[in-house]
Amino acid sequence: MKLTLIALSLTVAAVSSGCTSLGVEPWQRELLARKDMQPGGSRLDDAIDDHMYFSKEASSGGRSFGGGGCGCN
Amino acid sequence: MQLEPTIGNLRSKLIAASCALLGGAPVARAETHDVVDTINRALTDWQLDAALAYYHENGRIQAVEPVINAEHDLADGGQLDFDFTFDALSGSSPNGALTSRQVQTFASPSAKSFAQARHMYTVSSGNLPVDPNYSDARVAGGASWTLPLSRLTRARLGGKFSYEDDFYSATVSVGLERDLNDKNTTVSFSVNSENDFLQPIGGAPTPLSDYTQFEKGGHETKHGVGVLAGVTQVMSRNWITLANVSVDRFSGYLNDPYKIVSVIDAVGSPFGYVYENRPDSRTRRSVYWENRVGWSQGSVTADARYMTDSWGIHSETAQVHLRWWLPGRDQYLEPSARWYRQNAADFFRPWLADTAAVPSDVSSDFRLAAFDALTYGLKYGCKLTDHLGRFGRELSEFNIRLEYYEQSLRGNPAGPPASSGLDLYPKLQAFLLQIGFSY
Repeated sequence: MKLTLIALSLTVAAVSSGCTSLGVEPWQRELLARKDMQPGGSRLDDAIDDHMYFSKEASSGGRSFGGGGCGCN
Repeated sequence: MQLEPTIGNLRSKLIAASCALLGGAPVARAETHDVVDTINRALTDWQLDAALAYYHENGRIQAVEPVINAEHDLADGGQLDFDFTFDALSGSSPNGALTSRQVQTFASPSAKSFAQARHMYTVSSGNLPVDPNYSDARVAGGASWTLPLSRLTRARLGGKFSYEDDFYSATVSVGLERDLNDKNTTVSFSVNSENDFLQPIGGAPTPLSDYTQFEKGGHETKHGVGVLAGVTQVMSRNWITLANVSVDRFSGYLNDPYKIVSVIDAVGSPFGYVYENRPDSRTRRSVYWENRVGWSQGSVTADARYMTDSWGIHSETAQVHLRWWLPGRDQYLEPSARWYRQNAADFFRPWLADTAAVPSDVSSDFRLAAFDALTYGLKYGCKLTDHLGRFGRELSEFNIRLEYYEQSLRGNPAGPPASSGLDLYPKLQAFLLQIGFSY
């Protein structure tokens, strides 16, 4: 928990500071445009995994909204 | 924009042949080309993903789940997204009772009394009580529409539904996204509302009622509202990070209508059973953080989540995927690992003593216990053909994925004296096999 919060705080702080070294120019996005670099790029894998974990564990979600789930939990 | 000549020709021939077959009569060459062009143009703006998953637990549930997702780019910069899922489940499901040295007899949920022999099942000494006749089917679908409000702002409207014999669910969501900092930063905010209707087989049992009295009512409902705020930041030309904070609250009937709790006598034998009861509201808060780092031959995705709720549960999750392209870049391997830990809900009790008063909230559902879970996975993917897709020239992909999941109770809650030596909390082991195709 502590590690997650510290890491998250650092990220948010870096983002909110508007540091000019963050980010890239449009012509520097070749790697970022790849599917495996897109958040949600493995959508079906995530959906199938999330359904498995939803039915077996007490926690779910976080990445996006669930909804339309099952009556299994 | 130039089509790949070989693939384009092959594709045109295939589509033309299909059209001719479907038409059942010769089609004029010009008309065929019109159809081919139309289909080609239409497919260019679609991203299709389909998968078939098989899930199997040791001695418990198995499921077959076909899933399909389609995304369509609109001319105005918007996007439509559709998904459809079907689940067929069967096998044995734990009913919540404690393993005993005695043979235990139970009634299936549809039974009206213990006199209906065809609705009965027995569990032999030393085995986890499971209902061996569990079977269910689920149909679920969803759609979302992303529409640009300005060059930098988008709205997203979505809806989902899920249907089972004993459960219906409908969810709607509304969200806003805005790009900042030369599109290196995206902030988002969304709200969703879920309404569920439960019609348990045999009726919803009266909470904490004696299992042998079959006190059951009709249907129940529950309602949930959630908000999620996120920020996505491009950190460098090969690193992107995402952080979400979410809160949701569910209220209404939150029990599992098929779960009971063993009441144990002074000797340590099952004295009886009562239906579980959970609090009628639950508020959850979570923080999620994801990082993707890429290079020419691969990428790493690492994410972590912390979640806490008003039932006293808090959980931690960490997950990592490593995608590694093999020489030639037309095949990849993706090993993955996930670690999950949760503590028990405040009202989790694996069993009750007949000498003590029954608590107002109690459940023996292992999913509310303290446990650790590990997942190991390996995915293999290979590129099939070139086509023009949403990100320019893309490749169709075939992939196959295998995962192993293991869940172990932590701390081994004490059992009754007579159960000494029995495996009261057997480890859950499951594997998942998934075959997928992307276009």
